[in-house]
Amino acid sequence: MIKNWIGLKTLVRREILRFFVVFSQTLIPPLISSALFIFVFGFSIGRNLRLEVAGVSYLQFLVPGLVMMHLIESPYANTSSSLFMSRWHNMIQELLLSPLSYFEMVLGLLAGGVVRGLLVGTGVYAVSLGFTQFSFYNPWIVLYFFVVVTVIFSCLGLLVGLWAEGFEKLSVWSTFVITPLIYFGGVFHTLDMVPAPLRIVTKLNPIFYLVNGLRYGMIGVSDTNIAFSMILAATLAIFLFLAVETLFRRGYKLRS
Amino acid sequence: MTADAITIQGLVKSYGALKAVDGIDLAVAEGDFVAFLGPNGAGKTTTINAITGLSNFQSGSVRVFGMDVVADYRRTRPLIGLCPQEFNFDPFLSIHKLLVYQAGYFGVAPAEASHRAQELLRYFRLGEKRNIDFRKLSGGMKRRLLLCRALVHDPKILILDEPTAGADLELKYRIWDFLTDLNRKGKTIFLTTHYMEEAERLANKVTIIHRGKIIHQGDKATLLGNQTLEQKYLELTKGAGEES
Repeated sequence: MIKNWIGLKTLVRREILRFFVVFSQTLIPPLISSALFIFVFGFSIGRNLRLEVAGVSYLQFLVPGLVMMHLIESPYANTSSSLFMSRWHNMIQELLLSPLSYFEMVLGLLAGGVVRGLLVGTGVYAVSLGFTQFSFYNPWIVLYFFVVVTVIFSCLGLLVGLWAEGFEKLSVWSTFVITPLIYFGGVFHTLDMVPAPLRIVTKLNPIFYLVNGLRYGMIGVSDTNIAFSMILAATLAIFLFLAVETLFRRGYKLRS
Repeated sequence: MTADAITIQGLVKSYGALKAVDGIDLAVAEGDFVAFLGPNGAGKTTTINAITGLSNFQSGSVRVFGMDVVADYRRTRPLIGLCPQEFNFDPFLSIHKLLVYQAGYFGVAPAEASHRAQELLRYFRLGEKRNIDFRKLSGGMKRRLLLCRALVHDPKILILDEPTAGADLELKYRIWDFLTDLNRKGKTIFLTTHYMEEAERLANKVTIIHRGKIIHQGDKATLLGNQTLEQKYLELTKGAGEES
C-alpha cells in the first residue's frame, strides 16, 4: 500500500518540524494550562473538599480527563492549521505535484498531529506526577487510546482544514463543537454527578466514551463499557481516515 | 514508436458555465521546446493544471509518455517539473531544506536530495542564501528558487508558467541560457509566456490557445515565415476573436 517510503518519511519529518519550530506555541501552553487545572481543581479545591469519586481521589480522577483533553485538542489544532495554511498559501501544490499516493499524503499529514498529540499527552501526564502518582491500571489500554484518539482528531482536523475557507471557519468547529463536547464528556465529572436529563445527552457524546476508556486504562475507573469504548474509538478512526482519504483522492478543495 | 511527451485529446474543463478549455487536442514530442501562448484567460494555466494533476477535468484525456495522468499519476508526476507563476513556498523551511524536502516527496534519498539542492542553488546564485527562508529573498531570487524546485527531482518535462515575469535583464538572459541548455540536453520544455521575444528566441514549436481552443500548433519556422512572432500572434488571435 505504501510505495513511496522516502516521500512519506519526508512529509512526516516536515509535519513534525512544523510544530517543533514553534514549540513555545504548540507544546508548552498545554503543559502550563494542565498544571494550572491540576493545581486549582485537583490539588487545591479537590483536596480541601475531600472529594472522593469512584473510590479514587478527585485529583487522580481528573488527570486522565485532562490528558484526553489534550490528546483531542493538540492533534486537531496541528492538522487543521497545517492543512489550512498549506491551502491558504497554495503550498499544498508541493504535495499534489508529487507521486505520493493520496493514502500516503493523508498518512503523512496526520502523523504530525499524532506525534504532537502523543508528546503533549505524555507531557500532561508527566506534569501530573508532580501532584499525584499512580501506576497505570492497564498500560496497553492507555497506549491504545493515546494512539487511536490522536488519529481520530488528526483526521477531524484534516477534514476541517479542507473545509475551511477562512481563519474564522477554522475555529468554528473547535469553539462550538469540540470544546463543549470535551467539557460535557466527563473530563471533570462522573455520569452520576450531572442532572438526569444531561446524562442522556452525555451518553450520546462520543468523547465521553474516549475519556472513560482512557480513565479505565489509567486508574481502572469508568462509566462506560471498556470494550464498547475501544470499538467506538477504532470505528471513528477508520471512518474518519477513509473519509479524508476519499476527499483527497477526489481533490475536494485541493484541485480546481 | 515512442509516445509523445505530452498528448492531450478532447480536453474539456469548465468552471460553471465558463468553458476554460473547450475540447483541445495537443501533442508535444519528446525534446521539443514548446511556447504555449494566448491572452489572459485563454486557458493556458488550466491546461497546465490538467497536465500536472492540479485540476480535475470534465472530459478528454491527458497522457505523459503514454501514461494517463489520472489513472497512472504515480508514474507521470515524477516525469514533470512545474514552475508556477506564484511564489508558493513553505515559509517554515530554509530554501535548502525546502528543496531537499521537495526532492524527498519524489523519492530522492536525503543525501542525494541535499547534493542536488546545493548544486541548483549554486547554479542559480542562491548558494549563500541557503539557510534563510524564501520571504527574505528578492523577487528575482524567488523566481530562481521556483526553477530550482521544479528541477530538483530531475523531471523529463519542465513546465514553466511565466518563468521570467518580474526578472531583470541579466536574470532573464541567465534563465534563457539555462533553459536552452536544458533543452539541448534532452528535456522537453513547455513554456507559457506573454513575452513574444522570449518565445521566439527559445521555442522550436508554437501553440496558441484562444478562448479555450487551440488556434495554431506547429513549427515556429513554418508559422513565422518572414513575420515576427508578435505580428503572427496578433494576426491569429485577432482573426480568431473576429470569428467567435
